[in-house]
Amino acid sequence: MAEYRTIRFRLNGRPVELAVQPHENLVEALRRGFQMYSVRESCGQGLCGCCTVYVNGKAVSGCLYLAALVDGCDVQTAEGLGTLQQLSPVQEAFIECEGFQCGFCTPGMIMMATQLLQENPNPTDEEIKHYMSGNLCRCAAYPEIIAAVHRAAEKLRASKETDAKADQAATVAG
Amino acid sequence: MNAFDLIQPDTLEEALSLLNTDDPLVRPLAGGTALMLMMKSKLYAPERLVSLQRLKPSLDKVKVDEAGRLHLGPLATLRELELSPVVAQFSPVIPKALRTLSNVRVRNVATLGGHLAHGDPHMDLPPILLALDAQVRVSSEAGHRDIPLSEFLTGYYSTALAPGELITEVVVPPLPQGTRGTYVKFTALSADDWPMAGVAAFVRLEDGQISDARVAVSAATERPVRLHEVESFLRGQRPTDEVLHHAGELAGTQIHPLADIRGSSGYKREIVKVCVRRSLQQIAQTDHNGDGGVTQ
Repeated sequence: MAEYRTIRFRLNGRPVELAVQPHENLVEALRRGFQMYSVRESCGQGLCGCCTVYVNGKAVSGCLYLAALVDGCDVQTAEGLGTLQQLSPVQEAFIECEGFQCGFCTPGMIMMATQLLQENPNPTDEEIKHYMSGNLCRCAAYPEIIAAVHRAAEKLRASKETDAKADQAATVAG
Repeated sequence: MNAFDLIQPDTLEEALSLLNTDDPLVRPLAGGTALMLMMKSKLYAPERLVSLQRLKPSLDKVKVDEAGRLHLGPLATLRELELSPVVAQFSPVIPKALRTLSNVRVRNVATLGGHLAHGDPHMDLPPILLALDAQVRVSSEAGHRDIPLSEFLTGYYSTALAPGELITEVVVPPLPQGTRGTYVKFTALSADDWPMAGVAAFVRLEDGQISDARVAVSAATERPVRLHEVESFLRGQRPTDEVLHHAGELAGTQIHPLADIRGSSGYKREIVKVCVRRSLQQIAQTDHNGDGGVTQ
């Protein structure tokens, strides 16, 4: 009973494998096996969002997800959003707007904000609050976090327009 | 969390065979959001879990048939139901209620089947589906049976599911033209807490008179229940303030609220009266052929 089994999945785009026990959760497995320290267990009940991970492109609470069940899946953590040289637009926006104090909740906030902006590129304050109601910031940097999501939305829209123009130019040139 | 064995069958037949046991330490695992919490708090320590994850493609369909019945696959996630145009078209009350349930991550994982099989009276869809006269199809190695949701939910965290049975479909009969609905929930501790009271109401008005009324209450009571006395009182009435106020008062006499951290029995009774009245007022005030939305 409860033997180790090897699971294979993609982590931030890279194929990986790990021996896990059936009762191990995704936070434990990602930290133990891959030093993915952006994934943090805080409340352990799916309420706070510090352990936000994407499984097959959907945000889940890693603390409530059995690691064994990501076998064959595509898993993404905040480590996969950008690099130190090239932060993602949402990461940049959180820094510019100082959307944090201690930073413990930040990876989860950025993961949820990124997903929100994929679904809704121009959210209102109310839509941001509703979508991110499951992410808690004990420093209460909420006003700055909301400002950061708006800033990120602007950046993403601006880069989309630039891309569209570049495409148009390429089409004309082509 | 205690150690357990995890099996991941590929077919329903295989899953039903693995679950065909009286051993209470063998259980199915769907989204697992509730089960994980029970295991983490050591409320439940299974020896073996049968994951239904690989059955999802065959058991997550959402569709309306020629007769207008809504069919919901039990492995559809709550988020899939929330975003489904088919569900929204059938009754916008369902997606609106789902948007107030827990958070996006939990809804991305939690399934309809788990939501019902858990038997937790604080869930948001059971009162709505109860008011919609939903039927639950359960299957086992012996075959299947169809159970009205009112008989499926038997008590506090208990259901009519026998060992070896899985929910394989939820079917909702078509709503008569002109029916308007709403779901009102009251949270006592914080906005995103489980409700202390939930009221689902669907009313059909013809020439200003109530021709059909269905009212279900949840969370305050040990299981979601229909308020048949309130429904028969409303039929044939005009939805005046006085009538709706009386319907709320009558609701208070029909329930046996459980006292817990969210309120005393007496307090919950008062809140249910208010929620029933407000749900009916909302519907009466909606002058288009839609729904009254969800209020908290």
